Amino acid sequence: MLKKLKSVRAFLTLGLLLSCIFAGYSIYYKIHYWGFNFTPKQTTDVWTVEEHVSFVPDGKNIRVSLARPLSTAGFKILDEDIVAPDYHVQKTTDRVEITSKAKKKLQDIYYRVLLYDNVESKGKTIAEKPKTPQKPIMDESTTLLAEQLLEMAAQFDGDEIQKVIALFNQNPPDETVQSFVPAPRTAKATAVAIIDLLSLKNIPARMIRGIKLVEGKKTLLPDVMIEAYIDGMWKVYNLENGKKGVPDDFIIFQRGKQSLVDVEGGINSVTKFSVMKSIRSSFKMAGHRAKLSQSQSWFNYSIYNLPLKEQNTLKWLMIFPLAILVVVIMRNVVGIQTMGTFTPMLIAMSLVRTGFWAGLICFSVILVVGLLIRAALSKLNLLLVPRISAVVIFVILIMQILAIIGYEWKWDIASSALFFPIIIMAWIIERASITWEEDGAANATREIVYSVIVAIATYFVIVNEYIRHIMFAFNELNLVILFVVMLLGTYTGYRLTELTRFAPLAKKDKK
Amino acid sequence: MFGFLKNFATPAQLRAAGVLGMNRRNYEIIAKSNKRRLYPLVDDKVQTKKLADSVGINTPHLIGVVEVQNEVDSFLRLVEGYKEFVIKPAHGSGGKGVLVIKEYTPERFVTASEKVLTYHEVYQHISNILSGLYSLGGKYDVAVLEEMVHFSTQFQDFSYQGIPDVRVIVYQGYPAVAMMRLATKESSGRANLHQGAVGVGIDIKTGRAVAAVSHNLPITHHPDTGADLMKLEVPFWREHLEIAAKGYEMTGLGYLGADIVLDKYRGPMMLELNARPGLAIQIANGHGIRDLLKRIRVSYPKGLSVDERVDYVLKHK
Repeated sequence: MLKKLKSVRAFLTLGLLLSCIFAGYSIYYKIHYWGFNFTPKQTTDVWTVEEHVSFVPDGKNIRVSLARPLSTAGFKILDEDIVAPDYHVQKTTDRVEITSKAKKKLQDIYYRVLLYDNVESKGKTIAEKPKTPQKPIMDESTTLLAEQLLEMAAQFDGDEIQKVIALFNQNPPDETVQSFVPAPRTAKATAVAIIDLLSLKNIPARMIRGIKLVEGKKTLLPDVMIEAYIDGMWKVYNLENGKKGVPDDFIIFQRGKQSLVDVEGGINSVTKFSVMKSIRSSFKMAGHRAKLSQSQSWFNYSIYNLPLKEQNTLKWLMIFPLAILVVVIMRNVVGIQTMGTFTPMLIAMSLVRTGFWAGLICFSVILVVGLLIRAALSKLNLLLVPRISAVVIFVILIMQILAIIGYEWKWDIASSALFFPIIIMAWIIERASITWEEDGAANATREIVYSVIVAIATYFVIVNEYIRHIMFAFNELNLVILFVVMLLGTYTGYRLTELTRFAPLAKKDKK
Repeated sequence: MFGFLKNFATPAQLRAAGVLGMNRRNYEIIAKSNKRRLYPLVDDKVQTKKLADSVGINTPHLIGVVEVQNEVDSFLRLVEGYKEFVIKPAHGSGGKGVLVIKEYTPERFVTASEKVLTYHEVYQHISNILSGLYSLGGKYDVAVLEEMVHFSTQFQDFSYQGIPDVRVIVYQGYPAVAMMRLATKESSGRANLHQGAVGVGIDIKTGRAVAAVSHNLPITHHPDTGADLMKLEVPFWREHLEIAAKGYEMTGLGYLGADIVLDKYRGPMMLELNARPGLAIQIANGHGIRDLLKRIRVSYPKGLSVDERVDYVLKHK
C-alpha cells in the first residue's frame, strides 16, 4: 500500500517537475519572442514616423531614394508603406527606391513606418576596424584652430569623444569654437566639425541621422548623433550632452555618408518628418512579434489570437485554478471547514465585482436580514423546497431594496448588492439557519466566519492585477497548479487546525 | 505574547504520539479500505437494518418507513400499538433529524428531552426528512420509524437525558478502539462530541473507561450528573465487540465505526454503521491510533472468523 502511495507521489512529482520545466520554457519563449511582460501592461506604444518628400519635377526621369530605418536600430518594424501613385517602388535592405518617368505637377511622396518595442540596444556595434579616417582638407589657420580646440578639449571629463562634444556644448559658447564653426550652428554642422576634429586624432567617426520620437513632432530636419569607432566597436554619442548609447526614443534612419533623401529629376525638394504615437493592445502586438520571430503558427493556436470578448472571458477563467488552489490549501492543509467547498470562492468572485468593503457590508446585510426572515419562515412550517425558494425571493427583494436605497441616498455600497449570486446567498442562509438550529449559534457563526475568511483570502488572490495578468499571459502556469493540487491530494500530514485539536494527546506524551 | 502557542502541538509531537490526522485517514485508511460502492449500505439506515437482520445482528425493530409526502399523514397508523417510537432520516448522519417520542396522544407528543410537540410539528418534521433536510447532499430521503431503545439503567447516572452509545472502530474486521458517548445538558441530549457531549475512552479488552474528555479537555466526572466517569464499565462487552466485528462481514468496509446501544431488554443493539468515523475517538482514549492501525494491517492474522477475531483482540496484546 505504501509502495503504491510512493509511486503515485513520484508520478505526480515528476509531472510537477515536467510542467515546471514546460512552463519555464514557455514563459521564456513568450517573453522573448512575443514580448510578453510580467507586469500588467495592457498596451504597447506604436510610433508612426512619416517622411513627406515634395518636389517639382524638372522634366527628366524621376528617381527618389529614401533611407529606410535600420532594423538594427533598436525598434521593431510593425509596418511600412509608401504612398507614391504611379511610381515604381523597390526596396533594398536600407533604401527605398522610387522611380517614374518624368511628371509635370508638384509631387508628394509619403513614406510611413510603424515602429514598436524598443529593444534596448546599447548603441554599440562590433565591427571591423575601418580605414584610418581621411584628414579633412583645411587651410593653415583652420588647422591651427583645430589643434587649439583639441588642446582645449583635454580639460573636459570623459573619453576622447565626450571631451570634444563637451567643447561644443559650453555655455556661453566659446569664441574659438564659434570661429571654427560660425553661428548659428546646426546640429549637422556641429557633427561635421566634431567628426573632423576626431579624424585629426585618428578616431574614425561618422554621423547618424534619425528621428527622436516625440509625440506630435513635425520637423524639416532629422536629428543627428555621432558614432565613433573605439575599442573594436562603433559607439553612439549624443551630440548635446556627450552621453553614450542610443536614447530609447531615437530611431536611426541612416549612418555615415549616405544621404537621407536623394531626389533626381526634381527641384526644390522639401522633406518633412512627422511623428505620431498610437496605442495598441499588447496581446495584438504579440501576433506581429510572433510573425517576426517565425512563430506565427504557434501564436495562431494560442488564446491571444482569439477575439477580445473571448479573451476577456478566458482572462476571468484563468484565475480560477489559483482560487481553487487557495480553497484546497485552506481545507486540506489549514483544515478550515467552510459552508460548501466552493461557496467561499463564489463569494470572493462577487467581491471582485462589488469592491471589497461594499461587498462585505452588503453580504452581511443580506445574510442577517435573510437569517431573520428564515427564522420567521421556520414558524410557518413550510416544506423544504418551497421554503428555500421563498428565501431566494426574499433575497431578491432585499437586493432590490438595497439597490434603491443605494441610488436614492447616493450610497454606492448598496447597489453592489445586485452582484451577489442569489441562489448561493439563499443556500448560505438556509445552511446557516439549519446549523444554527442543530448545532447552536456558535457553530453556525463559526462556519460563516470561516467561509468569509476563506472568501477574503481568495478575493485577495484573484483581485490582484499582477496575478491576474500573469495567470492569463502565462497560462501554462495552470498546468503547474494542476499538479500542485493533485500532489496536495496525496498530502497525508496533519492539518494546521489538528495541531490544536490533538494537542492534548501530544502534551500527555511529553510528560 | 506567544502564550497561545501552548495550545499548539508540533507535527513532530503528534507523530510521536501516533495521532492519525484527517488527511491520512482519508488517504491511507478510508480510500484504501472502503470501496465507494459499499457506502450506500451504511448511508441508508433501511438497508443497514435489513443487512444486519440477515447476519443476525440485533437492531431496533423497524416499525415502518414513510417514503412520500402524501404518506406522512399515515404515520400515526404505522405506530399504532407502540407506546413510544423514534423517527429518523434514512440518510441522516450525526444524529441529525432524530426525534424520540416517548409518549404520545394523537395531538400531543412528548420527546425524550421532555419537549412537547403538536401533531403538526411532528408532521412537519417527517416532511422535512422527506425533502432531504437532514440527508447528505440534500437529496430526497425517507423517514424511518423504529422502536425506541430502552436504555439500560446502568448508564443512568452517566448521561444527561439521551441515549449513551458505544462507538467501536473496526479496522479490517478487528475492533480497534472504542469510546462511549454521553449526552450532556449542553449537547441537549445528543451524543455528538462537537455539540458538547462527553467522550469516554473504553479499553478494547475490558470495556472499562480509561479516559474522558469534554470539549477536547480531559475530565473525570460528568459535568451535569457528577458521576465518576472512570467507574464506567460497559456490560456485555464481548457482545459489543462481536456486533462491531460482524459489521465487517456485513458491509465489506475495511474501516468502519459501529454505533452500539445497550437495551434494557434486548442487550446490545446496533444503531448504525459509519463509513467515515471521526477521529475524536483518539482524544477520548488519550492516545493516537495510527500505530495500532498499522499493526492490525501488518501483523494481525487474516481470514479469521468473527469469533476468532474478537478472541484475538481480547487476548492479544
